Amino acid sequence: MSFLNIAFKDLRIRIKDRNNLVLAILLPVALTAIIGFAFGSDSGISTVEFTLVEPDDESAFLVRAAAALLSQVELFEVDVAPEAEARESVLAGDRSAAVALPDSVLSSVFHGTPGVIRVLRNPVSGIKAGIVRSVAERFATYVSAGSIAARGIVDALERERELSDGDRLELYGWMFGWMRDLWDTPVVSLEGSDQNVRKMDAVSYFAPSFAVLFLLFTMLASARTIHDERESGTYDRLMTTPVSPASVIGGKLLGCYWLAAFQLLVLIGLGALLFRINWGSHPTAVVVMALVTAAGATSVAIFIAAAARTSAQTDRIGTVVVLVMSLVGGSMWPLPESFDRFGRFTFNYWAQSGFRDLVFRDTGLPGIAQEITVIGLMSLVLFAVSVRLLARRS
Amino acid sequence: MTMAGNQVISVDRLVKRYGVLTAVDSVSFGVARGEVFGLLGPNGAGKTTIISILSCLIPPTSGSATICGCDVVRDSLEVRSRIGVVPQEIALYQSLSARDNLVFWGRMYGVTGSALTARIDELLDVVGLKERAGQRIDTFSGGMKRRINIAVGLLHRPEVLFLDEPTVGIDPQTRRSILDLVKDLNSQGLTIVYTTHYLEEAEFLCHRVGVAHEGRLIAVGTKQELIDSIGAADYVVVRAGGLSDAVVATVGALPNVAGVALAENELKIEVVSGSTVLPALVETLTRERIDVQSIDVVTPSLETVFLHLTGRSLRESGKGVSEEP
Repeated sequence: MSFLNIAFKDLRIRIKDRNNLVLAILLPVALTAIIGFAFGSDSGISTVEFTLVEPDDESAFLVRAAAALLSQVELFEVDVAPEAEARESVLAGDRSAAVALPDSVLSSVFHGTPGVIRVLRNPVSGIKAGIVRSVAERFATYVSAGSIAARGIVDALERERELSDGDRLELYGWMFGWMRDLWDTPVVSLEGSDQNVRKMDAVSYFAPSFAVLFLLFTMLASARTIHDERESGTYDRLMTTPVSPASVIGGKLLGCYWLAAFQLLVLIGLGALLFRINWGSHPTAVVVMALVTAAGATSVAIFIAAAARTSAQTDRIGTVVVLVMSLVGGSMWPLPESFDRFGRFTFNYWAQSGFRDLVFRDTGLPGIAQEITVIGLMSLVLFAVSVRLLARRS
Repeated sequence: MTMAGNQVISVDRLVKRYGVLTAVDSVSFGVARGEVFGLLGPNGAGKTTIISILSCLIPPTSGSATICGCDVVRDSLEVRSRIGVVPQEIALYQSLSARDNLVFWGRMYGVTGSALTARIDELLDVVGLKERAGQRIDTFSGGMKRRINIAVGLLHRPEVLFLDEPTVGIDPQTRRSILDLVKDLNSQGLTIVYTTHYLEEAEFLCHRVGVAHEGRLIAVGTKQELIDSIGAADYVVVRAGGLSDAVVATVGALPNVAGVALAENELKIEVVSGSTVLPALVETLTRERIDVQSIDVVTPSLETVFLHLTGRSLRESGKGVSEEP
């Protein structure tokens, strides 16, 4: 059990190191507190106020119905206004965003012609405006599905018999009525999904990001001890004891992993205690996500250390890699969606996505299965490559 | 110290090459149980490479070595459980206490529980650091770190202890205490291989010495055997006024005097034994009314051997110093 002895020794050294405690616990907690203070207006969001632009065509009823429906969701405060007025209130900061449906939206729905939903966002209300955009995307998806269904019905009828213009007019009239009923009636799918979305606040949003960011830095400092041991002569001394190189490497990896899991679980606990972050009603899922994230961060840091030749090189390369991953992965601030495809290549993206699913959607284990799978696979590959590199040098 | 049937370390034509550089070149020697064997030579002579091979850190390019009958390549785990290694650098965890370091390294050697606790207490006593056991290593002086460094190598009661230049960079007082500790360990029966570039340490500690030079072991034996092997004699050096050829002839005729050379006001007399010739020499110089300023007896040392074998002094070759141990 030499590897356990090595892992325990490493954990002990790191926990006794005050600098490490500052990096691992105090800095992320302090930054989260600062962010909570700085984003006071968005912190503890109780309502998201936005305007639906009233069209001057036959689809105005659809917009009003949508506003009424969305207002039933506790989080939203929705009104309907002409475009100029909506734009003015967004720019004035009275509303977080305004959403304008495509011109002749009903025509688009029935004829399948493409239309664009425009979202005018107030840049100051970053998180709230993001929520509005998300709602608009869901609406677009819903309408697209309705359009496809409607056209399917028309096509099916036309196969039965040829439709005259009068028939078509009557059918569209019936369809309008059906759509109105549809929007006037509480929609299970929309309301159901939104009920799972918790009130969003900046602290809950950024706490997982900072936890992941500083976890990577802490792991980097831990992983560099592989080189520190070589440079101080303790690695050679270990190799004069009756232990195998595999035990030494295994011990170093396990020590890093224990520290990562410890750090993350402490930060989650402190988040709940100090910032009242609600991590959801699935504690098992939170622990699993934390353990998988710890493995991911460990594998990234160990890989960097294994690829580097000295502890100084590990620091230099590691700092750049962690900062770039955190930037692209969205650990520092929410990134435009155009960056999303790049973010998906980073560990940060998946770790944050998993924690946010738990915090804001309370999805439980099934909801974070994708994140767990991606991080798990990423960890396995990086661990395998790292062990190979380290074994070659031992 | 006899070798027959009592050999703990056996090294046979050991070679280690790094590319075109030959760090160890066909080195052979044996070490008897209970012996202190010194590897003497300047930096870069190959001493640490030999120790690294014997402690299973690096494999030899060719040749073989056994410790307690176990091959250092094939039976490396067995060898490592039987040897203690004290590296030249302070290979300790600086942020852990002395006791925590000893606990960790003891467990790595497979010593656990009350046996480990008792052994740690015993060793802290031996190295005189019981009172400081709970303090972090990075608060220790260089000498204290060296002593804990040695204690780590003794935790599992090894049969053979390798000490690689354990007194580098420490003050004379601490150096003396470490040398006394090594003597004491050897008196308890521990076999020790001690590398050094300090001639005085080798003379003070070692039963036998291997002289390392440019990767080769150019001579092995006791100090006397090595001196005898080069045929070195004692010298008496007289500094005086009024020396003349007549005095040279008179001194040259004394018993046990092999030769006399005069240079300015210094008479260099080669003798069989410096101490036996002194009374007659003093009497002769007094009778001849020579104004003697000083008389020194110079006996051959390992330095003489090294100079004879390599053509350079150890100091010229590396960083040997002449502090008294």
